[in-house]
Amino acid sequence: MRRLPVYLLLDTSGSMYGEPIEAVKNGVQTLISTLRGDPYALETAYISIITFNSVAQQVTPLTELSAFQQPQIEASGCTALGEALTLLAQKVDTEIVKTTQEVKGDWKPLVFLMTDGEPTDDLQKGLDEFKKRKFGMVVACAAGQGANTNTLKQITENVVQLDTADSATIKAFFKWVSASISTGSQKVEDTHGDVASMSELPPPPPEVNIVV
Amino acid sequence: MNIEKAIDLLSNGESDERMSGFIKYYANKLWAEYNEYLMNEIVVIENKVKELPIVIPNASIRKPYNAIVSIPCEEMTDITLSGLTEEVQGLKIEKQEDGKSFKISGTPKESGTFDVTLRYKYHGLSVERPYLERMLQIIINPDPRDLWKDIPVPEDMEYPKDNTAKEYVKVAALSDGTPQKDIVAASKRGRSHAQEGKPRDDDFRLYHDEKTNWYVIAVSDGAGSAPYSREGSRIACNVAVEHCKEQLADSENFDDDINLYHLDQKSEAAGKAISADIYKIVGNAALKAHKAIAAEAQQKGRKTKEYSTTLLLAICKKYDFGWFVASFWVGDGAICLYNQADKTAMMLGMPDEGEYAGQTRFLTMPEIFSDSNKFYQRMNCRIVPDFTALFLMTDGVSDPKFETDANLKSYDKWNELWADLKENGVELTDDNEEAANQLLNWLDFWSPGNHDDRTIAILY
Repeated sequence: MRRLPVYLLLDTSGSMYGEPIEAVKNGVQTLISTLRGDPYALETAYISIITFNSVAQQVTPLTELSAFQQPQIEASGCTALGEALTLLAQKVDTEIVKTTQEVKGDWKPLVFLMTDGEPTDDLQKGLDEFKKRKFGMVVACAAGQGANTNTLKQITENVVQLDTADSATIKAFFKWVSASISTGSQKVEDTHGDVASMSELPPPPPEVNIVV
Repeated sequence: MNIEKAIDLLSNGESDERMSGFIKYYANKLWAEYNEYLMNEIVVIENKVKELPIVIPNASIRKPYNAIVSIPCEEMTDITLSGLTEEVQGLKIEKQEDGKSFKISGTPKESGTFDVTLRYKYHGLSVERPYLERMLQIIINPDPRDLWKDIPVPEDMEYPKDNTAKEYVKVAALSDGTPQKDIVAASKRGRSHAQEGKPRDDDFRLYHDEKTNWYVIAVSDGAGSAPYSREGSRIACNVAVEHCKEQLADSENFDDDINLYHLDQKSEAAGKAISADIYKIVGNAALKAHKAIAAEAQQKGRKTKEYSTTLLLAICKKYDFGWFVASFWVGDGAICLYNQADKTAMMLGMPDEGEYAGQTRFLTMPEIFSDSNKFYQRMNCRIVPDFTALFLMTDGVSDPKFETDANLKSYDKWNELWADLKENGVELTDDNEEAANQLLNWLDFWSPGNHDDRTIAILY
């Protein structure tokens, strides 16, 4: 079966402590339970979570929705975004099934990245590794005013911004991510094609602004 | 220093009344501090327990479940785990002998997220405390099969089409008992279409000429992204089969050419004659179908693209020396001559695949006909001594059953499909008209991620 891999890269640096990190945890939980009720996603979507603070860590390896367990997420430290991208590249190499003569491999992974600050490590190094891999849709989200959308534009052209990193706004973002994954899994099943541009995703809610 | 001297020192020469007030004041203050300390102790313990990695693996509805949940903490005693019953969730919890782990087992009968309460006493607290609690959760996944909805298509839909279709073309055995090949076909709206109340976009048409004994089969798959593809696929099958029917009603010249071709396959003249015939019959059938769709689109003031469809067409006849098969194919899906006797699976062409997954070619594209070289490549003809089955199918069947082009060329894979049909209730025996129903039921097979419309036609 061709899986639709979805990687969530979540900033868990110290500045996320308190309301934002609680909102992220709730967001992940809601995302998973919503997708469990969607037959397309339940069959095809596989989720991995990579968190990054002073180091990057894959807290959930690529897992089918039905087996997903909420990981422990704590906020502390700085923002190793570069390392998170390097780790993502490594995981894509090992976790994604490639197409062979006999087996059709996985769909191209969807990536949703959320950060509230500037990277504190060498972003370029991670960026180089990241750019060498093939992804479907990559969406980067600047949560609040502390994140630099120009930095995120180096990663992907699909950048969105949340005005504030409060729980209602973060919740709205995760709801949109969930709807986007549903759309993605439906698209691969109906038209046998990857989601390639943001225009194919559901329109984001008012709290989520597209950065042009 | 004795105690009296100490009290003297503490009273600082104040009166007894003042002294007792002093003691009460500080006693209350210290007690409050002490109580707070005890409360904090509980919070610290509860937080510690909250961080213990206690994993309850997810269950799935109707799937037998058996998990051991361990509580990795030495200080916890009198542990209980509760909240699940056989009556409600179909799961029971049993404490294991070690008192530190629990077995959850059963066959879940309801999906959802359920609270499980972990109660315990904590050894090492300053004073004995009542039970402490931590809330855990167990997730029982729904079965994706229950989540697919079967939404009817709108009643007033333009170009109505039934959600299923089936047909059996019986060519009765000869009077001496020699069986004659029959055709069976079935087509079913995919779950992903049913989920959204969209119609079936696939179609097929079968024909057998009693007089000349020609068989004609057409199968087509309307593009999911094209709003009127259900009509495109219907027109494609109908017009293509009608054209073949007319052309084959009187096929003496064609028969002669086929005979000649059989006798001398290397002869250029025979090859040319047969090519011209095939072009005239199956090639023109495709072209006519293309034009008919374009005409319909034009009449409705729409783009031909909105009627996008694939077409798989085969004509077939038995001669003394064996079977002649000719085909035309544009788009994805599969046409294959499967023969158990010599263990061959001969694909009559290959599916069109674009640069990106999901891109295919459609009969409705003008470029299909403008490049005559490529157009010729879409036609195929074969003479074989005999065969077990000629398959035509849309990608709703070929994708889940074959996945890749390499597998489509594999005899073993076709053999598996043949066995799959047999094992799952399709009796492909001569003159078994019930096979149409059986094949329609077979199309319900479960393949995660593959819920497109499915259509298959088998000449056997």
